[in-house]
Amino acid sequence: MVFIFGVNFPEANLVKRSLETFYGIGPKVSQHIMARFHIHPTAKVSSLVNTQILNINAELSNMKIETDLRRQVQDNIKRLRSMGTYRGRRHAMGLPVRGQRTRTQIQTARKLNREERKG
Amino acid sequence: MSSSLCVRRLSLAPSDVSAHTSMATRSLLAYSCNASFSTSSAQLAQNLQKKSKAALPPQRGTKNSVTLKRKTPARDVGKRPAPGERKALRKRIVLSNINAFEVPGLRDLHTTNMHADSVKGRVMGLPGTVVDSLRAVEAFKTTQGWNLFRRPAILMRRESAQIAEFIQEVEAAQGKKTIRRIIIGDRASGKSTLVLQALTMAFLKEWVVINLPDAKEIIIGHTEYAPMPGSNRTQYTQNVYTANLLSQIAKANTAVLSKLQLTTKPDLPITVPPNATLVKLAELGAATPEYSWPIFRALWDELTQPNRPPIIFAIDGLGHIMRDSAYLSTNFKPIHAHDLTIVRHFIDHLSGAAALPNGGIVLAATTGSNNPSSPALDFSIQVAEARAKGMNSLPTWNPYKSADQRSLDSLKNVEMLRLNGLSKEEARTIMEYYAASGMLRRTVDNNFVSDQWTLSGGGNIGELERGTVKLRI
Repeated sequence: MVFIFGVNFPEANLVKRSLETFYGIGPKVSQHIMARFHIHPTAKVSSLVNTQILNINAELSNMKIETDLRRQVQDNIKRLRSMGTYRGRRHAMGLPVRGQRTRTQIQTARKLNREERKG
Repeated sequence: MSSSLCVRRLSLAPSDVSAHTSMATRSLLAYSCNASFSTSSAQLAQNLQKKSKAALPPQRGTKNSVTLKRKTPARDVGKRPAPGERKALRKRIVLSNINAFEVPGLRDLHTTNMHADSVKGRVMGLPGTVVDSLRAVEAFKTTQGWNLFRRPAILMRRESAQIAEFIQEVEAAQGKKTIRRIIIGDRASGKSTLVLQALTMAFLKEWVVINLPDAKEIIIGHTEYAPMPGSNRTQYTQNVYTANLLSQIAKANTAVLSKLQLTTKPDLPITVPPNATLVKLAELGAATPEYSWPIFRALWDELTQPNRPPIIFAIDGLGHIMRDSAYLSTNFKPIHAHDLTIVRHFIDHLSGAAALPNGGIVLAATTGSNNPSSPALDFSIQVAEARAKGMNSLPTWNPYKSADQRSLDSLKNVEMLRLNGLSKEEARTIMEYYAASGMLRRTVDNNFVSDQWTLSGGGNIGELERGTVKLRI
């Protein structure tokens, strides 16, 4: 098990996948981080040396990810809501915000859109 | 006529026949004809039966399918292959086929007969020790047909004789000569096999053999990489790859390297016992990947000291290292393949920028089946061929194509060795070998040889093997 940014990852995991488990890190960001510390795309977590892990931890702690990013998103929604905008209202109602039709296919909005947005 | 018959048959449905037993005997002919028409009616009948069964209401007292609880789909509990097992299977090299005959009179290639005229155009066996070494440097490829015959053997074609001559020239010049060639040719024309033949001869002559079995593996970004400290234009070392290369070198060249001892004091981050043999040095590098590159350099320095054997340095799949690699630099730009230390080292020797003080051969084979686009390599091949033909006007670079200047520069002064098809005599020899191995069950006569030679695109050996041995219908 390798400890990255407070999470334990099994040694057989890919570094790329492990990084992408954090909220706010997708394919592009993970690629940048890995290029920065010379980690090849198919590297396993077990192959990381200590300095690389420390560097990744330092890099991640400087980024707005996980709780901080979630809070920022929630604050943005709260701001819209408090201003009484249509977008804020739609968020609170769990409906699509950007003018999509609501007759069918609004699962994503139902799942995600709310004032205290989680995902 | 036929339409009236059909109408009559319609009226003779099975129910009618059973009703009128006297008619049954008379209508036999008509029914048999009907049955032989097509098979679709029989299939249709089966389907109809199934449907009608499904449509029946459920039997009293049995469980209805609706009320049955849906089972969770059975989980696949089969044993998973162990890590690396599938790769081992994929890369497995089979060099023997116990069902093939032993070819009577098949002589082994040897230092004494290597240059003789008597082996030119003949099929020669590979000695066992050399086979082990070739296996260690991964010179055999899974795509080649080694698994079809009793034991590995090679055809000494015209180009193989040329390689044998190169070896003779290098030995005659006593370390003053380095021959650099790029092997080009169509797909399946035997480029990788020619590299294998060159390595075979070098092993027999007790040269030091260093082989990079597949250039693609170096650049696809599947092994660790790290910037080399102190390099001006940042160079990148690949520690795991280099360690693996060192272990291959140690394994394949044990006979030669165990006789050679350290003469210099290499400046290494780890202690090397004084008077260690070069095998020990290589093994040390293989065991400590973090220092594998400095150890490789130290080994190379040792090998280039005076009175050391010549070196053969080969690579397969040259096109892959004439472009950007899949590795990324710190500022998210692709790293050019020439910035990888091991590639840089090879390219320096291929281009002539670095010399082999004890002489040797630098060989690079292009690849046909797995050819990456490398305009620089394609252009360099065209120029080199035009130059070899003595043409006055050399081809010029298409200014609308983006030029990879580093690749172009590295290939400026390299000669090409084009692999053409086999001659008909060579094709006949190899087909006779196929027949003697029991893998080709035909009489090998002039007509058959001509046929196969033409069908294989003028003696392309891979296609010839495919047409005669692999595709037996």
